[in-house]
Amino acid sequence: MSPDRASSLPLPAETAEPKAVDVAVPVGLLVLLLVLLFGGMVYFDQHGAWFKPEVYTPYISVADLQSFQPPTGGINLERGKVVYESVCGLCHNPDGAGKPNQAPPFAGSEWALGSPNRMIRIPLSGLNGTVKVKDVDWNLSMPAMGAALSDDDLSAVLTYIRSSWGNKATPITAAQVKAVRAEIGNRTQMWTVEQLNAVP
Amino acid sequence: MNYGPLIFLAAFFALAGSWFGFVITPQVQMGRQQPTNTLGSPVTYPVSRPGLARQGLQVYRANGCADCHSQQVRQSGTLLVVALTDRGTNQAAVVAALQKLKPGLSGSDAARMLQDLPKPILSSTKRQEADAAVKSLSTAGAKAALSIVPQGPDLERGWGKRRTVAGDFLYDNPVLLGSQRVGPDLANVGVRLPDMNWELCHLYWPRTEVKDSPMPACRFLFEKRPIGSAHSPDALVFPPGTDPAPGCEIVPLPEAQALAAYLVSLRADAPLFEAPLAPIPAAAVSTNTPAASGITTNAPTANTPKPS
Repeated sequence: MSPDRASSLPLPAETAEPKAVDVAVPVGLLVLLLVLLFGGMVYFDQHGAWFKPEVYTPYISVADLQSFQPPTGGINLERGKVVYESVCGLCHNPDGAGKPNQAPPFAGSEWALGSPNRMIRIPLSGLNGTVKVKDVDWNLSMPAMGAALSDDDLSAVLTYIRSSWGNKATPITAAQVKAVRAEIGNRTQMWTVEQLNAVP
Repeated sequence: MNYGPLIFLAAFFALAGSWFGFVITPQVQMGRQQPTNTLGSPVTYPVSRPGLARQGLQVYRANGCADCHSQQVRQSGTLLVVALTDRGTNQAAVVAALQKLKPGLSGSDAARMLQDLPKPILSSTKRQEADAAVKSLSTAGAKAALSIVPQGPDLERGWGKRRTVAGDFLYDNPVLLGSQRVGPDLANVGVRLPDMNWELCHLYWPRTEVKDSPMPACRFLFEKRPIGSAHSPDALVFPPGTDPAPGCEIVPLPEAQALAAYLVSLRADAPLFEAPLAPIPAAAVSTNTPAASGITTNAPTANTPKPS
């Protein structure tokens, strides 16, 4: 193409350069964004469980997760066995036969089979002094081994003691343990046999 | 104008923000997880994998198994299922209770529901509704068990009984969640396929065990050698008619043994607080055996997970 020919052609009119101007964001768009943000916050509040580590997707809150837990019915003897073997069994022997000069037996013991109120008190505050178990005098001192156990664990272990090794006594419920705990308050002094015998 | 400080600050806050969100927040949220007891039993979960399986995790990692296999089961919901386990003595009262639970149920249909126990009666997502059903049935003299049954497409495929949670991976380093599902999910493969020989045959030649499997054969993990005076005790036992090398025996190398031990150890099915689960009581196989309800135990029926 020769320069002469090009210069003879009419030039098209140049379009104007684009220019930035101030235009306000539509109020409707702002309102829509705020509504979406609010909706998102409400959804998060209701379904996000606020970063609780135990709540995973199909569940939306701790309360929702709680409602899907399997029922815990009755007293858990299996749990009682575990607590017994870790807390009581070292001295009282895993088979409940006791150990000479350490701890009296549970199997066939009139204390293990007798009044729940007396039995619950012994692990809660301990027992000091002479105690007669199966016609043998034991002059020992037991610390408050059960004070740190929960009501559920203590009732499970006591029920395990009362229903194992040939023992067949009534179970002890967590409510009974709770009631005794409330009765004795924060007593740390060990019981004596006379004090226990005064309890129904 | 010098934009340097502004660009520096923008980059700094962008990186700090993602570090805060992806590293610190999850660490604070669940960085201190401990093994816990499974629901309704004093069994500790999870326990660390046996030594061979721990080596197998590194073989799994090195061979890129996680590129095609995930180890995460998803769950879309949970159902509370009330199952009748014992019809009691007062059949009329139980039938009346059933009809109240299911409006429109005819008396003869309700009486038929009392056969072949245990039988699921009601599925619900509301605890109150399920508890009320259990209560009304036990008031009528029958026994009902409440089961918690997780739902979801992954669970329908048989890939697990519940969703996987962070606690399942407590002893894995690194955690090999995987992101693709060219092959099936392996979070519970040890429950589905607990046979070491099956796993090894499948690794050597996937098509002998699964027809049309697209899985590459891991022959480099095995040694092929002529049978000497006696078979090696470790040699693979292939399904009949599929022996890939007649006259030879296929012996797994230690890596293959470790990988198979790792696969067999993959089982994320313990009921946990964060992923509750209670199976529907299984129907008795034979009617000749004495009913289990004859033995009086304190253990709640719905609460005991099936040994697996």
